[in-house]
Amino acid sequence: MLKVMQNLDRRYLYALLILAVALPFFFNVPMTVPATQSTESLYDKIESLPAGSFVLFGGDWSAGTRGENRPQSEVLIRHMMRKKLRFALIAFADPQGKTLMQDIAVQFQSQYGYREGVDWVNWGWRVASGQENFLKALAQDVLTTAGTDIHGAQVATLPVMQGIRTGRDFSLIIDVTGTASYQAYIQFLQGPCKVPMALGTTAVMAPEAFNYLDSGQLSGMLNGVQGAYEYEQKLGIEGRATRAGLSLSFAHLLIIGMILLGNGAMLMERRQQKRASGDRS
Amino acid sequence: MTEFSPWLARATPHLILWIGALCTLGMYSVLYRENRLYRLFEHIFLGLATGYGVALAWTDVLLPLWWKPLWNKGEWWLIFPLVVGLCYYLVYFPKLRWISRLVIGFFLGITAGRAFQVFANDTWPQIPASFKPVLPHAAIAKTAASPAIPALSGADALNNALFMVILVCVMSYFFFSFPQKHPVLKGSAKLGRWMLMFTFGAIFGSTVMARLALLTDRIDFLLNDFGADVGGSVWGPKIMLALLIVIMAVVLTLVARKADIVEE
Repeated sequence: MLKVMQNLDRRYLYALLILAVALPFFFNVPMTVPATQSTESLYDKIESLPAGSFVLFGGDWSAGTRGENRPQSEVLIRHMMRKKLRFALIAFADPQGKTLMQDIAVQFQSQYGYREGVDWVNWGWRVASGQENFLKALAQDVLTTAGTDIHGAQVATLPVMQGIRTGRDFSLIIDVTGTASYQAYIQFLQGPCKVPMALGTTAVMAPEAFNYLDSGQLSGMLNGVQGAYEYEQKLGIEGRATRAGLSLSFAHLLIIGMILLGNGAMLMERRQQKRASGDRS
Repeated sequence: MTEFSPWLARATPHLILWIGALCTLGMYSVLYRENRLYRLFEHIFLGLATGYGVALAWTDVLLPLWWKPLWNKGEWWLIFPLVVGLCYYLVYFPKLRWISRLVIGFFLGITAGRAFQVFANDTWPQIPASFKPVLPHAAIAKTAASPAIPALSGADALNNALFMVILVCVMSYFFFSFPQKHPVLKGSAKLGRWMLMFTFGAIFGSTVMARLALLTDRIDFLLNDFGADVGGSVWGPKIMLALLIVIMAVVLTLVARKADIVEE
């Protein structure tokens, strides 16, 4: 039995994992997860903004990190729309970000009575290698630097941009990303313009961002799909992250169980071998 | 697309889901073993992502910001970025290589200068933020001269002290200028190494969580997006789950048979 457990074909584990993820979608088990401090801070930051405030929203993710960044983008956009904040979308890290963020904003705009060009705008995608130069220029002159939106309209002529001239006119910067693109925002926009900034990042990238959170350079952060799940609970909505929450918990339980089983089997086998060698001597 | 084919226009949302489901299953076929189907979809994904990036670099950046102003509005000075960019390629011509060095030197200077701003805005604020109070105190009232300082509870003070100890220990681990022979330095460096190990463990745990979140998203897509489109929102996800279980049962039977053959 111990040998079977030690040499179990990995494909059995994959099958178990797929089942552990798929089955919870059919059970409606209410789970309340207390929001972590970083999620709480981001929620409070957006709550504190008066209606009409302008938020620069970076959608620096692609289909590769959709599982984490999409629920984060959805909850943040829904919260901004609920608070009647104006926002501009922009993507640097991946050209897909432009389209994916547009789809999310369009999906929710009718629900909250939002209109493109009036309440929000998508500035589109700019090459990642030029992100630093773009942000540096944006800090000085928003309208000229942003140029046109994704439909080719001059950003300066759009009602959503009323009263926005320099980076200091932003009330908040948010970057949802699976890359280190948020660092350029801190270096060339948040720091020089003293604008609060928040981050939604994949769980892989989150540990690196905690020092920015600790130093106050970031006002809040969503850590992976867990962060989005906590945020949905704060908003009182059941979205993608809530749907995925139970699956994720079951998958974690399975992995923890397998680690314990595998290591337990290894220790017991070692003990048996020791005993066997002791009997022989 | 509506003019081209009304049927295609109507069917597009369903086609997108079907293609998405086929691609997802094709990519996950690697879980059984490396195979040609997986390779095919891998290449399709790579090709699509690269092609999409190249197309958007033209339609979203070069066309509106460079070509149109240059060609339609007569902003002739925009030809200079092209000339400067082309100068990089003079590195392949020995006699004109010095021109490429001028351009490289120019941009190297800009990048080096920008590094100061990066340090000032990125790293510098983290240094004063690392000096945390370690003694609990009551709130200090706001005066004209100094801003208010919030109260520090015993638990927060302990947290700060722990932070300071870990910070010093980890930094002492990275003292390479002299041998770490002194017992205090040796001990703090060892503790620092342990703390680093805990951090790497936490990062690894986060990585597992991230990968599982991506799997959860794909399963959610197969069951609730694709499944609902194929069989309706009530039965569709259940049919898809049953189909997944059948596929896995077939695969695992194959695995078990192969294992039996090897044992024999």
